Amino acid sequence: MLKKPSQSYRFWQSAALFLSGGAALGLLSLICFRLHVNSTTVGLLFLIVVVLVSLRASLLSAALVAIIAYFCLDYFFTAPLFTLGMNQALDYVAPIAYLLIAVVITRLMQRVRKFQEEQKRAEETLRKSQAELAHVRRVVTMGELAASIAHEINQPLSAIVNNGSACLRWLAGDAPNVLEAQEAARRIVRDGNRAAEVITWIRGFLRKTDTEKSRLDINQTIREIVTVIEREAVESGIEVRMDLASDLPQVLGDRVQLQQVVLNLLMNSLESMALITERRRELLISTRKQETDKVLVTVRDSGMGIDGESLEKIFDAFYTTKTQGMGMGLAISRSIVEDHGGELWAVTNDGSGATFQFTLLPQK
Amino acid sequence: MQDEQAMVFVVDDDESVRESLESLLRSVGLRVAAFASAQEFLASPRDDVTSCLVLDLRLPGQSGLDLQKRLTELDIQIPIVFITGHGDIPTSVRAMKAGAMEFLTKPFADQDLLDAINQAIERDQTARQHQASLAEILRRYGTLTPREREVMELVVSGLLNKQVAAELNVSNVTVKVHRRQVMQKMRAGSFAELVKMSEKLKTSPARSL
Repeated sequence: MLKKPSQSYRFWQSAALFLSGGAALGLLSLICFRLHVNSTTVGLLFLIVVVLVSLRASLLSAALVAIIAYFCLDYFFTAPLFTLGMNQALDYVAPIAYLLIAVVITRLMQRVRKFQEEQKRAEETLRKSQAELAHVRRVVTMGELAASIAHEINQPLSAIVNNGSACLRWLAGDAPNVLEAQEAARRIVRDGNRAAEVITWIRGFLRKTDTEKSRLDINQTIREIVTVIEREAVESGIEVRMDLASDLPQVLGDRVQLQQVVLNLLMNSLESMALITERRRELLISTRKQETDKVLVTVRDSGMGIDGESLEKIFDAFYTTKTQGMGMGLAISRSIVEDHGGELWAVTNDGSGATFQFTLLPQK
Repeated sequence: MQDEQAMVFVVDDDESVRESLESLLRSVGLRVAAFASAQEFLASPRDDVTSCLVLDLRLPGQSGLDLQKRLTELDIQIPIVFITGHGDIPTSVRAMKAGAMEFLTKPFADQDLLDAINQAIERDQTARQHQASLAEILRRYGTLTPREREVMELVVSGLLNKQVAAELNVSNVTVKVHRRQVMQKMRAGSFAELVKMSEKLKTSPARSL
């Protein structure tokens, strides 16, 4: 979150700067007076103090420091000593120079600060719209997966209905079979929870939240999302294999966002294999630990592949090779991975299809 | 349940659904064997008893419709009750045309499933009785000599003994003897029964045996 310094904070900061400016001037006066430094050198030293104060303080504080600097200079260093009055050229130039410097620098610094704030706000807005876009993308994806998800919920539901009927029938009649009925009831509870888990996952996936990074087991994160597309894959005659390394360090990441990345890659793969008939349709998801302890996630398919020219372009926003689609999926995925300190890239397979890989930093 | 020995095969890839169906069917006294895939079902040895198949339409690898086709190819006649998560009309039409008993959309009322299963088992029973009697007639037919078969064919086509004799160029007495042999070997109580048996034989693909 962007924090705007409060008014009172600004006031006290200026007051403190004014006091330390004054103290610096006093100290300098004392030292220079003892050492008999000439008035021009002292004037320049005082100028440095005025500049330093002006860089951080408000106009009022800076101006006051400038005036004090002038009085000190006039009183202790320009002849006649220990009197105030316009006797030398320096007496005229010094106050004008100090005040001018104070005004110009404080004004400039105000502009700079305002500019910085605007930039911060713009970055914040950009980040927000990116998050929004990612959210929209998740909603769209969820729509595309509706059939699969409905199935995931319908299966345990129909099992519950069957078990309920079975339970009633086991209990009916002259010799109720309580053991069997209990078993059926237990299965009802289990399947009810299974359906609820699906719903919980959907809720989480569709929730509109800022990035929430936590320690994650990336394998578990991947397994959850693979369940979602497994049905779709099976129906399209695609063999899904997982090869998840067991020695992975935990990563710091946003579960939903990383699942979105993996889901996006998986769905692209499914789509690119849909029309393949002359070879096996295979989808391999693997994780590996790299030498630097980074985690490497690989999604490899035997689909249509990507031609060399498009290998980088596919990550551009609004670039798509599909007949349907906005061309935002990979662009969003890449920005998510980069936000996690990793990289996302694509390579063409030796045989057929494409491989997408991304890295994630280990949680230290 | 009309048949104590009736066996219901369940093929569904979802373990929860499989378990629930097993329990439901056992609760009404049916014998159940459940499988996770078409391959598993085809690979398992099955008793030759009255049975029916409760089949999930969508399975990994071979789909329910594939299995239905495969069973027809293998000449395994088992009535099929399809169950599916979301039944679209073209698929259900295909399944029904290929001889499915019923097409139920999950979740279904238990009674609907049990009714369908009862019907399927009844149909299998009738088919099995029919098969058994046909097999018996075929066995009897197999005991006939070539000449007796000729006589039987001509007699049931409506020819009189003497017409048969003329046709085969034998004496009237010989035809009578053959005819008696045929009636005896085929264990036909009456001429009408023999005609019926011959009709059944004509519909049998194993006629050439």
